[in-house]
Amino acid sequence: MGKRNSGRVCHGIGWTCLLWGALVASWVQPCEANWLGDYWSRFDRFLATFDPAGRYVRQPIEKQIPSLTFKGFYRQWSDILLTGDERVANRDKDFRFLQLQNLFEIEMHYQVSPNLEITNVDHFLYDGAYNWQDSAGLYAPRRSETLRHYHNFDRIVRELYASYRIHSLDVVLGKQQIAWGKMDGRFIDVINAMDSRESVQLEASDFEYRRIPAWMANVTYFFGANSLNLLYIPNFEQDRQAVVGAPWFSPSVPPSDTVVKANEDILEGRMNARGDIIQKRKRPSTGDWGDHEFGARLDVSMEPLTWGLIYFYAWNKNPNNFIVGRVDPTNPDDPRLIFRPRHTRLDHFGITADYASSLSQVPLVGELPVVLRVEGLWTKGVRFTDSARVASVRNGATGSGLITRDTIRAAIAIELAFPGNTSVILQPSLFYTFNWRETLGNGFGGGVGDEYNVIPVFFTERPFRFTRDRLRLSLTVSPYLSGPVKGWQGIKTKVVASYNFSQFVTGRLIYTAYSGGNRRDIYGQYDKWDNIGWEISYEF
Amino acid sequence: MTRKEFLQTGIFLVTCLMPLWVDAQGTTSSKFQDGKENGDTPKTWKTLDELSAEERAVLDLRAETPRDSQIPYLPAEKFPFSPPYTAEEMGIRSMEFPHSPFWNCTLIDIAATVTNTGFLDQRVTIIPILYLPTGGFAEHLYTAKPGQEVYRWLSQSVSLPERYGNQTLYVGYRNDLTFTTKLDLFAYSPALRRVRRQPQPRREDRLPNSASTFDDLIGRDAWEFRWRILGTDVLHQTVRFPVTRQTATLTDDKGNYIEVPANEIKLMGNDYPLYTADGGVKCFVIEAVPNPEWLKNYYVGKMIYWLDQQSFFPLRIEEYDKEGNLVFINVRVGTRANPALGDHGYAVLFDLWWDIPIDLLSASIHGFLLRTWTEEDRKIFFSPGFMRREWFLEPPKSLMTLNSPDEFYLRPTLERNKFPAERKIEIPPALEPRIEAQEREGRLVF
Repeated sequence: MGKRNSGRVCHGIGWTCLLWGALVASWVQPCEANWLGDYWSRFDRFLATFDPAGRYVRQPIEKQIPSLTFKGFYRQWSDILLTGDERVANRDKDFRFLQLQNLFEIEMHYQVSPNLEITNVDHFLYDGAYNWQDSAGLYAPRRSETLRHYHNFDRIVRELYASYRIHSLDVVLGKQQIAWGKMDGRFIDVINAMDSRESVQLEASDFEYRRIPAWMANVTYFFGANSLNLLYIPNFEQDRQAVVGAPWFSPSVPPSDTVVKANEDILEGRMNARGDIIQKRKRPSTGDWGDHEFGARLDVSMEPLTWGLIYFYAWNKNPNNFIVGRVDPTNPDDPRLIFRPRHTRLDHFGITADYASSLSQVPLVGELPVVLRVEGLWTKGVRFTDSARVASVRNGATGSGLITRDTIRAAIAIELAFPGNTSVILQPSLFYTFNWRETLGNGFGGGVGDEYNVIPVFFTERPFRFTRDRLRLSLTVSPYLSGPVKGWQGIKTKVVASYNFSQFVTGRLIYTAYSGGNRRDIYGQYDKWDNIGWEISYEF
Repeated sequence: MTRKEFLQTGIFLVTCLMPLWVDAQGTTSSKFQDGKENGDTPKTWKTLDELSAEERAVLDLRAETPRDSQIPYLPAEKFPFSPPYTAEEMGIRSMEFPHSPFWNCTLIDIAATVTNTGFLDQRVTIIPILYLPTGGFAEHLYTAKPGQEVYRWLSQSVSLPERYGNQTLYVGYRNDLTFTTKLDLFAYSPALRRVRRQPQPRREDRLPNSASTFDDLIGRDAWEFRWRILGTDVLHQTVRFPVTRQTATLTDDKGNYIEVPANEIKLMGNDYPLYTADGGVKCFVIEAVPNPEWLKNYYVGKMIYWLDQQSFFPLRIEEYDKEGNLVFINVRVGTRANPALGDHGYAVLFDLWWDIPIDLLSASIHGFLLRTWTEEDRKIFFSPGFMRREWFLEPPKSLMTLNSPDEFYLRPTLERNKFPAERKIEIPPALEPRIEAQEREGRLVF
């Protein structure tokens, strides 16, 4: 065992050396005499005008249709594990690539009149992780083909809306996504569902591509520097989580991959590991007025303070499993249950505010500009699975097995502007469940596996002048603390080096590590999921 | 500590220490090497000692002058002043002409940056400008209280595709020692779909992918500096076009792009009355040194301005580091874009910035669409929440002005022979051959 660990650590060190080697290589001053010499300059000049899609697609189209703005990008992003094949809890981790995603986006804006515009954004995605490597542990497309590629209208046509604008009013009708809030992370950003296929590795920078747009009416009235935004959403979209057989499906969730693959009911989500029956999910209906969602947001500018309030009458985007019966009610020795997943109503009340100032006479840096952001969401009526109640139903009692609680999630961010365009953000966030007890499962907005979670995120980023700002380096450290039971749930560390190869082509190298905690903790369970990723993006 | 934790700690430390290491890589210097540039041109500059009595008559060489009774950091004589001019008065006049005009308009900014390896970055930005002092710059100086807003710029990127829809709202304030916040900044990115307040930019920080700092962009308050007249000069060229491109893409008064031959572009526009017989512009040359009472540890040691003698428009600005070395040159072409304002209606048509130690060049071409903003416009368009609407106030026409890095402007001339007692020029050794090659070929040589 020790030998195996030693080999894995050496392997990790090798990958880390490769990462830093690549970083240092990109750090070399290309303008001075160096080992890359004139080749780098030739490469730069070649890439400076390398824009085939812009030249041969975008420009001719825009010339032909002057009212149309046409743009898009192709992005290839891959993550490769730094650990070898091994069994981790319930997972056969016999794959190295966590993703080999290829995303092609087309974005069009057609100006019908000075006040009326039609927008369409389409996505074409293919993830080669399921085909381009030999793995028995990756079989998620048997459950959902969308994980491998977008193959239906809902996922390909991401946004399609008409917007009508006059001075004091915006009316936007159609399929769209809306991001409420000002913070990194999701606090009052609750309108759209999210495709969380990357689980703990879903980053704020990916929200734009992972939000699941919905058909809605979005009206904003502007009065002075303030605004009132009203939403009416007849089309419900639920969150998508990593499913069994996907690279990021939680290894702590039983049963094992071997059992899942052999049992079609478990694979399809019709049965759980205990043999309970899971019925088809009941989702809110577009045709039923009572099932629609409504939201309101007020933004007020009282500079240097801006603040806002939100209310969202919504559905929980993840269903709760209601107990609706027993598999064999005539047999008291068979404790298996029948669950019906249903979405439940939630009332979200939120607040957001930001304030700018400067600290003077700070040692070494003198004046230090600061921005303070605050965001909080109080959610009423969140249903939690109560294991004690479920157990009592198994023993013959009646009930849904659920209990209702209120939750709050909130964050304070302090952003500091240090010299050299170096920004530092300290953002402690809190997830709290009121009247929590140890038998509760997880619910929207509350602490995961505990009464409260505290995540004091540290982020720093800076460009490097000697590369003419083409190289940027950032570091994010996210410790996960909780109480009163679990304490330390692990830490996530992320280092990103991004580089502008040209005005059209950018690249990113990303190292992400999970450590600490135990095998049932948020980050602890992904201890063997340390990975290096790269992204190449071409925009036209 | 496990090996893994040890490794992560190492990465963390390296990440934190790397900035210190790379900062040390940022600049190089070498002993002065005199170039051939301007070696054969006639002498156009004069020190104070060389000025004629007539030329000296318009200059007031006093360092200390009576002070304004209400605002003691301004001279007693009221703006726009009258001859003879002190250096301080010239400095205050030059404040009227930052990169973006101090009057209501929509500015179309076609910008590009090129590195010495040929990395090219082009962008087009629409910038509706709201200038709040209705009485013009005099109101800005005398009536606006410190902390009072003086302008709002809404910067809307329309090109490149990567930047399409990125927006920034700048809120600028009247400053003095009691109120030093120059800007409030809000940013919107379509990728985040959020308006976020940004920390006030540090004055010395460079703009992303640009040779200029925030102070170079938004301008400086004259009262933060001590001014001195160095002499006069006649400038014949500032922004130089390469042999590979002899036209410029300008914007007409309706916002349409038009191609103009480079040789038709004059330093101060076609209607400037004071061109010399050979097309030059007579300039006052003045020095600005940061006043430590106002600017402690300012990143610039001193600046030298070339101001035209009619409107005090800066045609050339040089910045020197704390050791006295020339590190930055900004050259400009002006135009009377708002004729109704007379001499106060000049604005920057071309701006070219050169960060010498890292040999980075940035340039802007401006188009001006005069605007009268209604009260409703002011409240709606120039508020942070407006950016979320992704509503461009002019048609979002993209433009690629340069087909290759070879078409970028030449580096500004160093003018090594001018005012040698006042100007210390030490060029990095790797840069000298590139300057020579540029002068030989008539274009940037990578």
